[in-house]
This record gives sequence, structure tokens and C-alpha cells, in this order.
Amino acid sequence: MSSIIEVKNVSFGYFPQGSILQEVSFDVKVGTFLSIAGPNGAGKTTLLNLLCGLLRPQAGSIMIEAARIQSYSPRRLAQKIAVVRQEFVPVFDFTVAEVVSMARTPYLGTFGFDGKIDREAVSQALEATDTAQFAMRPMKNLSGGERQRVFIARALAQNTAIMLLDEPTSFLDLRHQVHIYDLLKAAQLEKGKTIVAITHDINLAAQYCDEILLLTGRRPAKQRPGNGTENPASYFIGKAKDIFSPAQIQDVFGVRVFTGKVGNENFFIPLGRFAKDSGQANSS
Amino acid sequence: MTQVLTAKSLGIRITFCLAALAVVMCLCALMGSQKVSLRKVFTGPGSSPGENIDYEILVGIRLPRVILAALVGAALACSGVVLQAILRNPLADPYILGISSGAGLGAIAAVLSGATWSFWGGSPIAAFAFVGAIITVWLVWLIGRATGKSQITNLLLAGVVINAFLSAVIMFLTSIARSDQVHSTIFWLMGNITEKGPSALGVSAGCILAGTVGLFGVSHRLNILSLGEQEAKSLGVDTAKTQIVAFALAAFITAIAVSLSGLVGFVGLVVPHGVRLVCGPDHRQLLPISAIIGGAFLVAADTLARIIVAPAQLPVGVITAIAGGPFFLVLLARHSRKISWLK
Repeated sequence: MSSIIEVKNVSFGYFPQGSILQEVSFDVKVGTFLSIAGPNGAGKTTLLNLLCGLLRPQAGSIMIEAARIQSYSPRRLAQKIAVVRQEFVPVFDFTVAEVVSMARTPYLGTFGFDGKIDREAVSQALEATDTAQFAMRPMKNLSGGERQRVFIARALAQNTAIMLLDEPTSFLDLRHQVHIYDLLKAAQLEKGKTIVAITHDINLAAQYCDEILLLTGRRPAKQRPGNGTENPASYFIGKAKDIFSPAQIQDVFGVRVFTGKVGNENFFIPLGRFAKDSGQANSS
Repeated sequence: MTQVLTAKSLGIRITFCLAALAVVMCLCALMGSQKVSLRKVFTGPGSSPGENIDYEILVGIRLPRVILAALVGAALACSGVVLQAILRNPLADPYILGISSGAGLGAIAAVLSGATWSFWGGSPIAAFAFVGAIITVWLVWLIGRATGKSQITNLLLAGVVINAFLSAVIMFLTSIARSDQVHSTIFWLMGNITEKGPSALGVSAGCILAGTVGLFGVSHRLNILSLGEQEAKSLGVDTAKTQIVAFALAAFITAIAVSLSGLVGFVGLVVPHGVRLVCGPDHRQLLPISAIIGGAFLVAADTLARIIVAPAQLPVGVITAIAGGPFFLVLLARHSRKISWLK
């Protein structure tokens, strides 16, 4: 299986905080569901913005389908990568159908009128996400979960090989969280999409994703000769069961967890000092 | 399937609205303090000036004025649509980024300088106002871009600050001007449509139509831009290029409109909102239909300004504010997106 995204020694920082990501390297194979996890401020959204071309790496390179990301025009890049951010209400009162139709922008001509192929893509995306039933409703009249489904429909209608998502289930209730992940998994399995999603829910990530990229938020210091101490890792990548261990989670997130098992996957419940069952937390 | 705008359906709606605009323009040209006989008008101008007064009133005075009002209304409404989209702010109007104060300063400078020359059929006030508006908008754009990454907020802030500063300069100049100079400046600031020569009208019409067509070319990208810059970039829109093109064209047609008629308020704010309530926010439709309805609205308002206290005339800005406010409130109350004939 070939790599569709290749990240090589990418570093990025904001002035004046300094480096957020330092020499990050990983590949994403075609048709993989990768989850980016990590504590607040570890650089998850920064990494996503680098992957969608919104930010440029200060060092290193990002390749999309074996070509440097900077070599793509905005229009060509939008034909390769669709981005779903946290749901929001547009300033103007667009309907669901209008918002999903915007996905076809990278394929439209000068005056932006869509053709038969565009309308079919929109229609299929609405059906796949179960949003066709409220296609004519204004976005502001939808619940947060419904709006997020609309944005996923838009990403599907964009007909790209890669979908990037920034915390697609934040602010959603349990049913809607699961629904969104089912939609994404279906897009991966049925349409062969490569999906990279930031998530704070490590249990959902473990259940649905093929690989986990765990950003630790630690900034490795510059190697000094003769300094015997080993640099802390700024990220780990691998299968969920290898990345998510109680010790690792406690170490990276700084919280004790209760660990259980569902099938082959661990699940974790964070337990703070005053939690009722805090005594049950694994001490590692 | 869902109802999404097609080129054919938009063409039908634009044709319908243009026909309505033509009717409004014809009716308004016939209205006025002096009754005009159409039968006499069709007999032609006659061999000497003054031989056919009806023809001269209708063709020589009222029609150019009606066309002028339609052009100004179209430009202001169009510019309002574009600035509301770029700034993602429903309260934006064509004057929000300093055009009004820049043009006002230009106008009062022209009055105080006592210049009397004419340029392409336009008065010194028109030329000075145009230059003042363009320079101010350019300054606001430079300041907005130079002060950081959040360009939209910075643009708005730069516009507000420059507007306030130039307004203070205008007040200072007005307070030291002679009373006859103050009167003509205030009339101009209130928005006042007066007859213009064919060359001024022709040049303005060409510029405004070209600007409007150019804006229509970026209108589908305005839909995306109104969702935010990150969203627009993700959907393949070159946001910087689109913003510059849209901003420059909107500023240009507003400056032309302002130089023709002074500061006609309310059209650029109310007409886009009214049309959005009825037709929805899709800018491919909102932009051309707002332009046509803006034109019709200002033609009707100017006709009222001509006849309401005839033979004297009111500044059209007074009528747009008095008539536009309640009209907009009625639309808002009915929240007429439910009116489906345009959808």
C-alpha cells in the first residue's frame, strides 16, 4: 500500500512561544483512518493546518500523493483534501443544500454554476449522511450534531481522496459522536477515503482508527554532545493497543485512568482526585 | 433533488427583475411637477430648442436623472452585498471602510477651493469626492493589511478610525466655511441626485456596469468567503486574490456612485438585506438582483424627492432613510424567506 501523505522532519512554531512541532515524521497509507490525539497545546490543530496547506512547515516537507504540498494550487489541493472543522453557524442564512453544494467549488467554472455531476455528488453525500431529509432547512435551525453531519456531507461531496477533521465530535452527545464516527468509518471502508481526525476521545479513536499519532506536547531540547540524558519523545505513532497504555496516558495527559477491555481494545476512564471511584484507577 | 440555483433559473429571475426595473423607470420618468404628454414626446424634439417642451423635459431632464438614480442605486446595493460578504458582517454598508468621509472631505475641499472646471462632464465636487474616496479606501486597506493577521477585524477598525478622523476634519472645515459653501456641502452630504450630462452619465454607466459584471464573476466565491477564510481556503478559493478583486471593484463603483450623487444612505444596507430575506443568501443571485432592486428603489425614492415638495426638491438621502427603514422592518417581520416564488 502506497503512502498518500508523507510528513518528513516537519517543524513549526509560533512567535514568541517557539517550536510547537519539532521534526515530526510519519506516513499515512492510502485508505487508512489515522487519529491525532494528545493534550491541549500539543500541536494537533497546527499539524492539521500544515496537512491541509493552511500553514507552511518552517522545516521539513509534506508530500501529498508524492508531490510537495506547496506545488498544488488552492483549487488542485481542494480536489485532493477536504477539511471538516468544528461545526459552526454561517453568518448568512444558507440552507443545508447550499452549504453542501459549496463542496463543488474546486470543480466549477468561472461563474460557479454546477452541472449534473456536481448535483449528483451533492445528492449522494446528502443521502450518505442522512441529511437529505432537511436539505432545505437553514443551517441555523439545526442541532450541533446535524450541522456536523452537514459538514461531513460537504466533505464527501468534495470527492477528495483525503479527509481531515478537527475534533469532529466535540460538543456532541454520545449518540451523535458514535454516528459521526460510523459515517467516517463507512467513508473509509466503502469509498476508500484516507481519514485523519483529531480527537480528544481516546476510546472512540481506539475503536475506530487504524493508527494513532499521539503528540505528547514535549519539546525535545537540542542534542548536546556529552549530555547523556535521552530526549523525551514529542510523538508516538502506531496501533491503538501499542500507543494507548495506562502508563502512557497518565504520562502524556497527566491523569490517572481506570482501564478496562472491550474485545481486543482497552478503554479508559479518567479518574480525578475527587471522583467517586478514584481508588479504582490503575496505579502505574 | 434539492433546489439549488441553476444558470437558467437565475436568468429567468434577472430578466423578470430587469423588466420590473424598466417599468419603474418609465413610470417614474412620467411623474413630476410638470405633466408630460407622451403623444407630444413621440413627435420628436422639433426643429428649435423650446419647440417641444414635453420632449425636452422627458428625454433631456427626467430620463437621464432616472438612469442616474438607477445606476447609483445599483452600485450602492451591489457594493453593500460584497462588503457584507467580505467582512462577514451583516451591518456593513458601502461606506463602512471610510469611503463616506473620504468622499466628503474631497467634496468640501472642492467647495472651499472654489474650483469651477469640469471633468468628463462631472463637477469639481464629483472629481474631488471620487479621488478622496479612492485614496481613503486605499489607506484603510493598507493599514488593515499592515497591522496583523486578522485582516477583517483590522480592516473594520481601520475604517472606523479613519472615518472618525476624517469626519472631524470635515466638521472643522465646515465650521470655518462661508454659509453658502456650507449649504452646498451639507446638501451633498445628505445625498442629492441632480441632472448630469450625457458624457458623465455614459462614463459612469460603463464603469458601474463593468464593475458589477466583474463582481458577479466572483460572486460564487463570496458565498464561500462568507463562511470564513479557513473554510474558503479548504474549498480551493484563493482568498487573498478574491478579497482584493471584490474589495477594489466594490470601492470603485461606490466611489463612482458617491461622486455622482453624494452620500445616499441606507440603500447599500437595506436593499441587500431585503433581497436576502426574500431570495436567500446565495451571492450569485443576491448580487445581480440586489443591483436591480437597488436601482429601482433609488429611482422611486428620487421621484418622491422630486415631487413631494414640488417645485422644490428634497435630497434623496432623506427619502431613502424615511422610506427604507419601515420597508425593511416590514420585510424583517414577515421574515419572508417563506415567500417561495423566487426560490
